[in-house]
Amino acid sequence: MNARGLSRHLLQLIVIVLLGGFAAAALVRYSPGFDSIPEDLDPSISPEVLRALHAKNAVDNPLPVFYLRYLRGTLTGGFGISATLNQPVADLLRRRAPVTARLVALGTAGGILLGALFAWMAVWTRRVFLEATAYSISGLLLAVPPAVLGLAFFFTEAPLALALALALFPRLFGTIRALLDDRAASPALLAARARGVRPMAIALRYVIAPSLRQILALVGVALVLAFGSAIPIEAICGIPGIGALALQAAIGRDMPLICALALIITFFVTLAHSAGELMA
Amino acid sequence: MRTALRRFALVVLALVALAALFAPQIAPRDYSLQFREAPRAPAGGPFLMGTDDLGRDRFSRLLYATRISILLAPAAALVSVLLALPLARFTSLTTLCLSLPWIFLFIILRALLPLNASPWESILLTFGLMGVAGWAWPARVFAASLREIRQSGWLLQARAAGLSDWRISLVYVWPHLRAIAIAQFRALIPAYILSEASLGLLGLGVAEPLPSWGNLLAELQRPDAVRSNPWVLAPLALLMLVMICLEIVQPVREGVA
Repeated sequence: MNARGLSRHLLQLIVIVLLGGFAAAALVRYSPGFDSIPEDLDPSISPEVLRALHAKNAVDNPLPVFYLRYLRGTLTGGFGISATLNQPVADLLRRRAPVTARLVALGTAGGILLGALFAWMAVWTRRVFLEATAYSISGLLLAVPPAVLGLAFFFTEAPLALALALALFPRLFGTIRALLDDRAASPALLAARARGVRPMAIALRYVIAPSLRQILALVGVALVLAFGSAIPIEAICGIPGIGALALQAAIGRDMPLICALALIITFFVTLAHSAGELMA
Repeated sequence: MRTALRRFALVVLALVALAALFAPQIAPRDYSLQFREAPRAPAGGPFLMGTDDLGRDRFSRLLYATRISILLAPAAALVSVLLALPLARFTSLTTLCLSLPWIFLFIILRALLPLNASPWESILLTFGLMGVAGWAWPARVFAASLREIRQSGWLLQARAAGLSDWRISLVYVWPHLRAIAIAQFRALIPAYILSEASLGLLGLGVAEPLPSWGNLLAELQRPDAVRSNPWVLAPLALLMLVMICLEIVQPVREGVA
Protein backbone atom coordinates (compact mmCIF):
# COMPACT_ATOMS: atom_id res chain seq x y z
CA MET A 1 0.00 0.00 0.00
CA ASN A 2 1.56 3.30 -1.10
CA ALA A 3 1.22 6.70 0.57
CA ARG A 4 -1.52 7.69 -1.87
CA GLY A 5 -3.62 4.66 -0.97
CA LEU A 6 -3.05 5.27 2.72
CA SER A 7 -4.13 8.89 2.49
CA ARG A 8 -7.20 7.84 0.48
CA HIS A 9 -8.17 5.47 3.30
CA LEU A 10 -7.54 8.21 5.88
CA LEU A 11 -9.68 10.70 3.99
CA GLN A 12 -12.42 8.12 3.58
CA LEU A 13 -12.26 7.45 7.32
CA ILE A 14 -12.67 11.14 8.21
CA VAL A 15 -15.54 11.67 5.76
CA ILE A 16 -17.41 8.57 6.89
CA VAL A 17 -17.02 9.45 10.58
CA LEU A 18 -18.27 13.01 10.02
CA LEU A 19 -21.18 11.80 7.90
CA GLY A 20 -22.01 9.08 10.43
CA GLY A 21 -22.19 11.62 13.25
CA PHE A 22 -24.25 14.00 11.13
CA ALA A 23 -26.66 11.25 10.09
CA ALA A 24 -27.18 10.22 13.73
CA ALA A 25 -27.73 13.84 14.76
CA ALA A 26 -30.18 14.40 11.89
CA LEU A 27 -32.13 11.26 12.74
CA VAL A 28 -32.50 12.26 16.36
CA ARG A 29 -33.24 15.92 15.61
CA TYR A 30 -36.08 15.15 13.20
CA SER A 31 -37.56 12.22 15.08
CA PRO A 32 -41.19 12.60 16.22
CA GLY A 33 -41.48 14.17 19.64
CA PHE A 34 -38.00 15.73 19.68
CA ASP A 35 -39.49 19.21 20.11
CA SER A 36 -41.40 18.14 23.22
CA ILE A 37 -39.99 19.33 26.50
CA PRO A 38 -40.69 17.96 30.00
CA GLU A 39 -42.39 21.24 30.93
CA ASP A 40 -45.18 20.39 28.43
CA LEU A 41 -46.58 18.02 31.03
CA ASP A 42 -46.59 20.59 33.84
CA PRO A 43 -50.06 22.19 34.04
CA SER A 44 -48.78 24.95 36.33
CA ILE A 45 -46.63 26.50 33.58
CA SER A 46 -48.38 29.22 31.63
CA PRO A 47 -48.72 28.98 27.82
CA GLU A 48 -46.51 32.08 27.41
CA VAL A 49 -43.68 30.50 29.39
CA LEU A 50 -44.12 27.26 27.44
CA ARG A 51 -43.97 29.16 24.16
CA ALA A 52 -40.80 30.88 25.33
CA LEU A 53 -39.27 27.55 26.35
CA HIS A 54 -40.18 26.00 23.00
CA ALA A 55 -38.73 28.98 21.19
CA LYS A 56 -35.50 28.63 23.17
CA ASN A 57 -35.44 24.92 22.40
CA ALA A 58 -35.90 25.57 18.69
CA VAL A 59 -33.18 28.24 18.68
CA ASP A 60 -30.77 25.99 20.57
CA ASN A 61 -31.33 22.96 18.41
CA PRO A 62 -31.27 23.65 14.67
CA LEU A 63 -29.32 20.73 13.28
CA PRO A 64 -26.38 22.44 11.53
CA VAL A 65 -25.76 24.74 14.52
CA PHE A 66 -25.99 21.86 16.95
CA TYR A 67 -23.70 19.68 14.87
CA LEU A 68 -21.04 22.35 14.28
CA ARG A 69 -21.04 23.27 17.96
CA TYR A 70 -20.84 19.62 18.81
CA LEU A 71 -17.91 18.99 16.46
CA ARG A 72 -16.06 21.99 17.89
CA GLY A 73 -16.58 20.60 21.37
CA THR A 74 -15.44 17.15 20.23
CA LEU A 75 -12.23 18.54 18.78
CA THR A 76 -11.45 20.17 22.11
CA GLY A 77 -12.02 16.89 23.91
CA GLY A 78 -15.59 17.28 25.15
CA PHE A 79 -18.68 15.43 23.97
CA GLY A 80 -21.22 17.45 25.95
CA ILE A 81 -23.48 16.31 28.77
CA SER A 82 -25.67 13.23 28.53
CA ALA A 83 -29.32 14.30 28.64
CA THR A 84 -30.54 11.12 30.34
CA LEU A 85 -27.67 10.39 32.73
CA ASN A 86 -26.75 14.04 33.36
CA GLN A 87 -23.03 13.24 33.27
CA PRO A 88 -20.28 14.31 30.88
CA VAL A 89 -20.40 11.99 27.87
CA ALA A 90 -16.59 11.77 27.83
CA ASP A 91 -16.62 10.42 31.41
CA LEU A 92 -19.31 7.89 30.54
CA LEU A 93 -17.36 6.69 27.53
CA ARG A 94 -14.11 6.55 29.52
CA ARG A 95 -15.75 4.35 32.16
CA ARG A 96 -17.72 2.12 29.79
CA ALA A 97 -15.28 1.65 26.90
CA PRO A 98 -12.79 -0.61 28.75
CA VAL A 99 -15.61 -3.03 29.69
CA THR A 100 -16.69 -3.40 26.06
CA ALA A 101 -13.12 -3.39 24.75
CA ARG A 102 -12.21 -6.28 27.07
CA LEU A 103 -15.35 -8.25 26.14
CA VAL A 104 -14.90 -7.65 22.41
CA ALA A 105 -11.15 -8.41 22.48
CA LEU A 106 -11.59 -11.67 24.41
CA GLY A 107 -14.63 -12.65 22.36
CA THR A 108 -12.81 -11.97 19.08
CA ALA A 109 -9.73 -13.90 20.16
CA GLY A 110 -11.89 -16.80 21.33
CA GLY A 111 -14.02 -16.75 18.18
CA ILE A 112 -10.99 -16.81 15.88
CA LEU A 113 -9.30 -19.56 17.91
CA LEU A 114 -12.45 -21.68 17.94
CA GLY A 115 -13.03 -21.03 14.24
CA ALA A 116 -9.43 -21.97 13.45
CA LEU A 117 -9.59 -25.10 15.64
CA PHE A 118 -12.79 -26.39 14.06
CA ALA A 119 -11.66 -25.44 10.55
CA TRP A 120 -8.43 -27.31 11.25
CA MET A 121 -10.42 -30.34 12.38
CA ALA A 122 -12.55 -30.18 9.25
CA VAL A 123 -9.72 -29.76 6.75
CA TRP A 124 -6.72 -31.47 8.24
CA THR A 125 -7.97 -34.64 9.84
CA ARG A 126 -10.01 -35.61 6.76
CA ARG A 127 -12.26 -37.60 9.05
CA VAL A 128 -15.91 -37.40 8.11
CA PHE A 129 -17.05 -37.59 11.71
CA LEU A 130 -14.91 -34.63 12.84
CA GLU A 131 -15.89 -32.60 9.79
CA ALA A 132 -19.58 -33.29 10.40
CA THR A 133 -19.14 -32.36 14.08
CA ALA A 134 -17.48 -29.06 13.16
CA TYR A 135 -20.27 -28.18 10.72
CA SER A 136 -23.03 -29.26 13.12
CA ILE A 137 -21.69 -27.18 16.01
CA SER A 138 -21.19 -24.20 13.72
CA GLY A 139 -24.71 -24.53 12.28
CA LEU A 140 -26.24 -24.96 15.73
CA LEU A 141 -24.55 -21.87 17.14
CA LEU A 142 -25.48 -19.84 14.08
CA ALA A 143 -29.13 -20.56 14.88
CA VAL A 144 -29.00 -19.03 18.36
CA PRO A 145 -29.36 -15.26 18.88
CA PRO A 146 -26.19 -13.92 20.58
CA ALA A 147 -28.33 -12.41 23.35
CA VAL A 148 -29.71 -15.87 24.22
CA LEU A 149 -26.19 -17.27 24.39
CA GLY A 150 -25.28 -14.34 26.64
CA LEU A 151 -28.26 -15.04 28.90
CA ALA A 152 -27.35 -18.73 29.20
CA PHE A 153 -23.80 -17.84 30.21
CA PHE A 154 -24.98 -15.06 32.51
CA PHE A 155 -27.30 -17.32 34.47
CA THR A 156 -24.71 -20.08 34.75
CA GLU A 157 -22.11 -17.47 35.80
CA ALA A 158 -19.87 -18.50 32.92
CA PRO A 159 -17.65 -15.88 31.26
CA LEU A 160 -19.62 -13.73 28.81
CA ALA A 161 -16.57 -13.43 26.57
CA LEU A 162 -16.98 -17.15 25.87
CA ALA A 163 -20.62 -16.54 24.87
CA LEU A 164 -19.41 -13.86 22.48
CA ALA A 165 -16.72 -16.19 21.14
CA LEU A 166 -19.34 -18.89 20.54
CA ALA A 167 -21.60 -16.37 18.78
CA LEU A 168 -18.69 -15.27 16.62
CA PHE A 169 -17.15 -18.63 15.82
CA PRO A 170 -19.75 -19.87 13.28
CA ARG A 171 -19.53 -16.54 11.43
CA LEU A 172 -15.76 -16.97 11.02
CA PHE A 173 -15.60 -20.72 10.62
CA GLY A 174 -16.55 -20.69 6.93
CA THR A 175 -13.93 -18.10 6.00
CA ILE A 176 -11.13 -19.79 7.93
CA ARG A 177 -12.18 -23.15 6.53
CA ALA A 178 -12.00 -21.78 2.96
CA LEU A 179 -8.56 -20.32 3.70
CA LEU A 180 -7.26 -23.61 5.07
CA ASP A 181 -8.78 -25.53 2.16
CA ASP A 182 -6.87 -23.26 -0.18
CA ARG A 183 -3.60 -23.81 1.68
CA ALA A 184 -4.12 -27.56 2.00
CA ALA A 185 -4.26 -27.86 -1.79
CA SER A 186 -1.07 -25.87 -2.40
CA PRO A 187 1.65 -27.81 -4.24
CA ALA A 188 4.32 -26.70 -1.73
CA LEU A 189 2.36 -28.25 1.12
CA LEU A 190 1.68 -31.46 -0.79
CA ALA A 191 5.38 -31.74 -1.58
CA ALA A 192 6.28 -31.17 2.09
CA ARG A 193 3.86 -33.90 3.11
CA ALA A 194 5.37 -36.25 0.55
CA ARG A 195 8.84 -35.47 1.94
CA GLY A 196 7.60 -36.50 5.37
CA VAL A 197 7.92 -33.09 7.03
CA ARG A 198 6.43 -33.14 10.54
CA PRO A 199 2.79 -31.93 10.76
CA MET A 200 3.64 -29.09 13.17
CA ALA A 201 6.33 -27.78 10.81
CA ILE A 202 3.89 -28.02 7.89
CA ALA A 203 1.29 -26.11 9.87
CA LEU A 204 3.72 -23.32 10.78
CA ARG A 205 5.59 -23.03 7.51
CA TYR A 206 2.95 -23.79 4.87
CA VAL A 207 -0.33 -22.83 6.51
CA ILE A 208 0.02 -20.20 9.24
CA ALA A 209 2.91 -18.16 7.82
CA PRO A 210 1.42 -17.66 4.33
CA SER A 211 -2.07 -17.00 5.78
CA LEU A 212 -0.98 -14.39 8.29
CA ARG A 213 -2.10 -11.41 6.20
CA GLN A 214 -5.54 -12.89 5.56
CA ILE A 215 -5.88 -13.78 9.25
CA LEU A 216 -5.00 -10.20 10.24
CA ALA A 217 -7.56 -8.93 7.73
CA LEU A 218 -10.08 -11.29 9.30
CA VAL A 219 -9.40 -9.78 12.74
CA GLY A 220 -10.79 -6.43 11.49
CA VAL A 221 -14.01 -8.06 10.29
CA ALA A 222 -14.22 -10.19 13.45
CA LEU A 223 -13.91 -7.12 15.69
CA VAL A 224 -16.85 -5.48 13.90
CA LEU A 225 -18.95 -8.64 14.14
CA ALA A 226 -18.00 -9.03 17.82
CA PHE A 227 -19.05 -5.49 18.60
CA GLY A 228 -22.40 -6.05 16.86
CA SER A 229 -22.99 -9.15 18.98
CA ALA A 230 -21.72 -7.50 22.17
CA ILE A 231 -24.45 -4.82 22.06
CA PRO A 232 -27.41 -7.16 22.76
CA ILE A 233 -25.33 -9.30 25.15
CA GLU A 234 -24.36 -6.26 27.23
CA ALA A 235 -27.84 -4.77 27.10
CA ILE A 236 -29.60 -7.97 28.10
CA CYS A 237 -27.11 -9.02 30.81
CA GLY A 238 -26.80 -5.54 32.31
CA ILE A 239 -23.07 -5.26 31.61
CA PRO A 240 -22.08 -1.59 31.98
CA GLY A 241 -20.43 -1.27 28.58
CA ILE A 242 -20.90 0.73 25.41
CA GLY A 243 -23.62 -1.62 24.11
CA ALA A 244 -25.87 -1.09 27.12
CA LEU A 245 -25.14 2.64 26.93
CA ALA A 246 -26.16 2.69 23.25
CA LEU A 247 -29.52 1.11 24.03
CA GLN A 248 -30.08 3.49 26.95
CA ALA A 249 -29.16 6.49 24.79
CA ALA A 250 -31.41 5.43 21.93
CA ILE A 251 -34.43 4.76 24.14
CA GLY A 252 -33.90 8.03 26.05
CA ARG A 253 -33.27 9.97 22.80
CA ASP A 254 -30.11 11.28 24.38
CA MET A 255 -28.76 13.34 21.46
CA PRO A 256 -25.23 14.13 22.76
CA LEU A 257 -24.71 10.51 23.76
CA ILE A 258 -26.08 9.09 20.48
CA CYS A 259 -23.90 11.46 18.44
CA ALA A 260 -20.79 10.58 20.46
CA LEU A 261 -21.48 6.86 20.19
CA ALA A 262 -22.19 7.11 16.46
CA LEU A 263 -18.94 9.05 15.91
CA ILE A 264 -16.82 6.68 17.99
CA ILE A 265 -18.40 3.46 16.76
CA THR A 266 -18.22 4.61 13.13
CA PHE A 267 -14.58 5.58 13.67
CA PHE A 268 -13.53 2.24 15.11
CA VAL A 269 -15.59 0.16 12.69
CA THR A 270 -14.25 2.06 9.67
CA LEU A 271 -10.74 1.85 11.11
CA ALA A 272 -11.10 -1.93 11.54
CA HIS A 273 -12.44 -2.30 7.98
CA SER A 274 -9.68 -0.09 6.54
CA ALA A 275 -7.00 -1.98 8.48
CA GLY A 276 -8.43 -5.22 7.13
CA GLU A 277 -8.43 -3.91 3.56
CA LEU A 278 -4.85 -2.64 3.94
CA MET A 279 -3.71 -6.01 5.28
CA ALA A 280 -5.41 -8.06 2.58
CA MET B 1 -26.86 -37.59 2.01
CA ARG B 2 -26.81 -33.83 1.41
CA THR B 3 -29.81 -34.05 -0.93
CA ALA B 4 -31.77 -36.13 1.57
CA LEU B 5 -30.96 -33.63 4.32
CA ARG B 6 -32.07 -30.73 2.12
CA ARG B 7 -35.33 -32.51 1.32
CA PHE B 8 -35.93 -33.16 5.00
CA ALA B 9 -35.20 -29.49 5.83
CA LEU B 10 -37.58 -28.35 3.09
CA VAL B 11 -40.33 -30.60 4.47
CA VAL B 12 -39.79 -29.21 7.99
CA LEU B 13 -39.86 -25.63 6.70
CA ALA B 14 -43.01 -26.34 4.70
CA LEU B 15 -44.70 -27.81 7.78
CA VAL B 16 -43.72 -24.82 9.93
CA ALA B 17 -44.91 -22.41 7.23
CA LEU B 18 -48.23 -24.25 6.93
CA ALA B 19 -48.68 -24.22 10.71
CA ALA B 20 -47.93 -20.49 10.65
CA LEU B 21 -50.32 -19.79 7.78
CA PHE B 22 -53.16 -21.73 9.37
CA ALA B 23 -52.44 -20.57 12.92
CA PRO B 24 -55.99 -19.22 13.45
CA GLN B 25 -57.42 -22.61 12.48
CA ILE B 26 -54.90 -24.73 14.41
CA ALA B 27 -54.50 -22.65 17.57
CA PRO B 28 -56.93 -23.82 20.25
CA ARG B 29 -57.33 -20.28 21.60
CA ASP B 30 -56.76 -16.66 20.64
CA TYR B 31 -53.22 -15.45 21.29
CA SER B 32 -54.38 -12.63 23.57
CA LEU B 33 -57.10 -14.48 25.48
CA GLN B 34 -56.28 -14.45 29.18
CA PHE B 35 -57.31 -17.20 31.58
CA ARG B 36 -56.92 -15.20 34.77
CA GLU B 37 -57.71 -18.18 36.96
CA ALA B 38 -54.81 -20.12 35.38
CA PRO B 39 -51.65 -17.98 35.22
CA ARG B 40 -48.42 -20.01 34.86
CA ALA B 41 -50.45 -23.21 34.42
CA PRO B 42 -48.25 -26.27 33.82
CA ALA B 43 -48.15 -28.08 30.50
CA GLY B 44 -50.82 -30.67 29.86
CA GLY B 45 -54.52 -30.68 30.59
CA PRO B 46 -56.35 -27.89 28.77
CA PHE B 47 -53.09 -26.13 27.87
CA LEU B 48 -50.65 -28.12 25.75
CA MET B 49 -47.62 -26.00 26.71
CA GLY B 50 -49.07 -24.34 29.79
CA THR B 51 -49.84 -20.64 30.15
CA ASP B 52 -47.72 -17.53 30.67
CA ASP B 53 -47.85 -15.03 33.55
CA LEU B 54 -51.04 -13.49 32.17
CA GLY B 55 -52.73 -16.87 31.70
CA ARG B 56 -52.38 -16.90 27.89
CA ASP B 57 -52.05 -20.23 26.09
CA ARG B 58 -48.38 -20.72 25.17
CA PHE B 59 -49.08 -23.09 22.28
CA SER B 60 -51.49 -20.67 20.60
CA ARG B 61 -49.08 -17.78 21.10
CA LEU B 62 -46.23 -19.81 19.61
CA LEU B 63 -48.26 -20.56 16.49
CA TYR B 64 -49.18 -16.91 15.98
CA ALA B 65 -45.60 -15.82 16.76
CA THR B 66 -44.33 -18.20 14.08
CA ARG B 67 -46.73 -16.62 11.63
CA ILE B 68 -45.41 -13.13 12.34
CA SER B 69 -41.72 -14.01 12.46
CA ILE B 70 -41.55 -16.43 9.56
CA LEU B 71 -43.81 -14.60 7.13
CA LEU B 72 -42.61 -11.05 7.64
CA ALA B 73 -38.86 -11.74 7.48
CA PRO B 74 -39.09 -12.58 3.73
CA ALA B 75 -41.08 -9.38 3.19
CA ALA B 76 -38.33 -7.34 4.90
CA ALA B 77 -35.69 -9.18 2.86
CA LEU B 78 -37.57 -8.33 -0.33
CA VAL B 79 -37.65 -4.64 0.65
CA SER B 80 -33.87 -4.69 1.28
CA VAL B 81 -33.10 -6.32 -2.06
CA LEU B 82 -35.45 -4.01 -3.99
CA LEU B 83 -33.87 -0.96 -2.34
CA ALA B 84 -30.36 -2.29 -2.90
CA LEU B 85 -30.78 -2.60 -6.67
CA PRO B 86 -31.09 1.14 -7.43
CA LEU B 87 -28.86 2.22 -4.50
CA ALA B 88 -25.95 -0.10 -5.37
CA ARG B 89 -24.31 2.62 -7.48
CA PHE B 90 -23.91 4.89 -4.42
CA THR B 91 -20.85 3.14 -3.00
CA SER B 92 -20.07 5.89 -0.46
CA LEU B 93 -23.57 5.65 0.99
CA THR B 94 -23.25 1.87 1.12
CA THR B 95 -19.90 2.16 2.93
CA LEU B 96 -21.40 4.63 5.39
CA CYS B 97 -24.32 2.33 6.17
CA LEU B 98 -21.98 -0.61 6.56
CA SER B 99 -19.79 1.40 8.95
CA LEU B 100 -22.26 1.13 11.78
CA PRO B 101 -23.00 -2.27 13.28
CA TRP B 102 -26.44 -3.18 12.03
CA ILE B 103 -27.93 -3.69 15.47
CA PHE B 104 -26.71 -0.24 16.61
CA LEU B 105 -28.16 1.42 13.52
CA PHE B 106 -31.43 -0.39 14.05
CA ILE B 107 -31.59 0.45 17.76
CA ILE B 108 -31.21 4.15 16.89
CA LEU B 109 -33.81 4.00 14.11
CA ARG B 110 -36.31 1.98 16.11
CA ALA B 111 -35.97 4.10 19.23
CA LEU B 112 -36.54 7.28 17.23
CA LEU B 113 -39.97 6.06 16.28
CA PRO B 114 -42.77 5.95 18.84
CA LEU B 115 -42.15 3.26 21.45
CA ASN B 116 -45.86 3.23 22.31
CA ALA B 117 -46.88 2.18 18.79
CA SER B 118 -49.87 -0.12 18.49
CA PRO B 119 -49.00 -3.82 18.06
CA TRP B 120 -49.69 -3.83 14.32
CA GLU B 121 -47.75 -0.60 13.85
CA SER B 122 -44.86 -2.14 15.77
CA ILE B 123 -44.83 -5.07 13.32
CA LEU B 124 -44.65 -2.71 10.37
CA LEU B 125 -42.02 -0.58 12.08
CA THR B 126 -39.85 -3.55 13.07
CA PHE B 127 -39.87 -5.38 9.76
CA GLY B 128 -40.13 -2.21 7.66
CA LEU B 129 -37.07 -0.74 9.34
CA MET B 130 -35.21 -4.02 8.97
CA GLY B 131 -35.94 -3.92 5.25
CA VAL B 132 -34.90 -0.28 4.94
CA ALA B 133 -31.84 -0.49 7.21
CA GLY B 134 -30.55 -3.72 5.68
CA TRP B 135 -30.23 -2.63 2.04
CA ALA B 136 -26.47 -2.03 2.29
CA TRP B 137 -25.42 -5.72 2.39
CA PRO B 138 -27.10 -6.72 -0.87
CA ALA B 139 -26.05 -3.35 -2.35
CA ARG B 140 -22.39 -4.16 -1.64
CA VAL B 141 -22.71 -7.46 -3.50
CA PHE B 142 -24.62 -5.84 -6.37
CA ALA B 143 -21.96 -3.12 -6.61
CA ALA B 144 -19.17 -5.71 -6.81
CA SER B 145 -21.09 -7.59 -9.50
CA LEU B 146 -21.77 -4.40 -11.46
CA ARG B 147 -18.05 -3.58 -11.35
CA GLU B 148 -17.29 -6.98 -12.88
CA ILE B 149 -20.00 -6.57 -15.49
CA ARG B 150 -18.66 -3.13 -16.49
CA GLN B 151 -15.28 -4.68 -17.24
CA SER B 152 -16.67 -7.67 -19.12
CA GLY B 153 -16.00 -8.26 -22.78
CA TRP B 154 -19.59 -9.11 -23.64
CA LEU B 155 -20.78 -5.70 -22.41
CA LEU B 156 -18.21 -4.00 -24.61
CA GLN B 157 -19.35 -6.16 -27.53
CA ALA B 158 -23.03 -5.34 -26.86
CA ARG B 159 -22.23 -1.62 -26.77
CA ALA B 160 -20.15 -1.90 -29.94
CA ALA B 161 -23.11 -3.61 -31.61
CA GLY B 162 -25.13 -0.46 -30.89
CA LEU B 163 -27.58 -1.93 -28.40
CA SER B 164 -29.40 0.62 -26.26
CA ASP B 165 -28.64 0.92 -22.53
CA TRP B 166 -32.15 -0.28 -21.69
CA ARG B 167 -31.79 -3.38 -23.81
CA ILE B 168 -28.37 -4.13 -22.36
CA SER B 169 -29.70 -3.67 -18.82
CA LEU B 170 -32.81 -5.80 -19.26
CA VAL B 171 -31.56 -8.54 -21.56
CA TYR B 172 -27.92 -8.89 -20.54
CA VAL B 173 -27.27 -7.34 -17.11
CA TRP B 174 -30.47 -8.26 -15.26
CA PRO B 175 -30.08 -12.06 -15.67
CA HIS B 176 -26.71 -11.75 -13.88
CA LEU B 177 -28.14 -9.61 -11.10
CA ARG B 178 -31.27 -11.74 -10.74
CA ALA B 179 -29.30 -14.73 -9.50
CA ILE B 180 -27.48 -12.51 -6.98
CA ALA B 181 -30.77 -10.90 -5.91
CA ILE B 182 -32.30 -14.31 -5.23
CA ALA B 183 -29.19 -15.45 -3.29
CA GLN B 184 -29.21 -12.23 -1.23
CA PHE B 185 -32.92 -12.54 -0.57
CA ARG B 186 -32.41 -16.07 0.74
CA ALA B 187 -29.42 -15.03 2.85
CA LEU B 188 -31.27 -12.13 4.45
CA ILE B 189 -34.27 -14.17 5.62
CA PRO B 190 -32.46 -16.05 8.45
CA ALA B 191 -30.56 -12.87 9.33
CA TYR B 192 -33.82 -10.98 9.78
CA ILE B 193 -35.48 -13.78 11.74
CA LEU B 194 -32.50 -13.75 14.11
CA SER B 195 -32.49 -9.94 14.28
CA GLU B 196 -36.17 -9.82 15.17
CA ALA B 197 -35.46 -12.30 17.97
CA SER B 198 -32.61 -10.13 19.31
CA LEU B 199 -34.70 -6.95 19.10
CA GLY B 200 -37.65 -8.66 20.78
CA LEU B 201 -35.35 -9.68 23.61
CA LEU B 202 -34.28 -6.04 23.99
CA GLY B 203 -37.93 -4.92 24.03
CA LEU B 204 -37.65 -3.09 20.70
CA GLY B 205 -39.43 -5.60 18.50
CA VAL B 206 -43.09 -6.48 18.03
CA ALA B 207 -45.27 -5.03 20.81
CA GLU B 208 -47.46 -7.05 23.17
CA PRO B 209 -50.03 -8.56 23.08
CA LEU B 210 -49.02 -9.67 19.56
CA PRO B 211 -46.60 -12.55 19.92
CA SER B 212 -43.35 -12.91 17.97
CA TRP B 213 -40.42 -15.22 18.54
CA GLY B 214 -38.51 -12.22 19.89
CA ASN B 215 -40.97 -11.20 22.57
CA LEU B 216 -41.64 -14.84 23.50
CA LEU B 217 -37.89 -15.29 24.02
CA ALA B 218 -37.92 -12.35 26.45
CA GLU B 219 -39.29 -14.81 29.02
CA LEU B 220 -35.87 -16.47 29.04
CA GLN B 221 -34.66 -13.53 31.10
CA ARG B 222 -36.41 -15.16 34.05
CA PRO B 223 -34.67 -18.43 34.91
CA ASP B 224 -37.43 -19.34 37.40
CA ALA B 225 -39.94 -19.37 34.52
CA VAL B 226 -37.72 -21.77 32.57
CA ARG B 227 -37.28 -24.05 35.59
CA SER B 228 -41.01 -24.17 36.39
CA ASN B 229 -42.08 -24.80 32.78
CA PRO B 230 -39.48 -25.99 30.26
CA TRP B 231 -41.95 -25.24 27.44
CA VAL B 232 -40.77 -21.64 27.80
CA LEU B 233 -37.87 -22.89 25.69
CA ALA B 234 -40.20 -23.99 22.86
CA PRO B 235 -39.87 -20.70 20.88
CA LEU B 236 -36.08 -20.99 21.07
CA ALA B 237 -36.21 -24.62 19.93
CA LEU B 238 -38.48 -23.73 17.01
CA LEU B 239 -36.34 -20.73 16.08
CA MET B 240 -33.23 -22.91 16.07
CA LEU B 241 -34.97 -25.62 14.04
CA VAL B 242 -36.07 -23.12 11.40
CA MET B 243 -32.66 -21.44 11.31
CA ILE B 244 -30.86 -24.77 10.90
CA CYS B 245 -33.27 -25.83 8.14
CA LEU B 246 -32.79 -22.51 6.36
CA GLU B 247 -29.04 -23.00 6.65
CA ILE B 248 -29.29 -26.49 5.15
CA VAL B 249 -31.44 -25.44 2.19
CA GLN B 250 -29.18 -22.46 1.49
CA PRO B 251 -26.83 -23.32 -1.38
CA VAL B 252 -24.38 -20.49 -0.63
CA ARG B 253 -24.49 -18.34 2.46
CA GLU B 254 -23.52 -14.70 2.10
CA GLY B 255 -22.16 -13.15 5.30
CA VAL B 256 -24.47 -10.79 7.13
CA ALA B 257 -23.15 -9.09 10.24
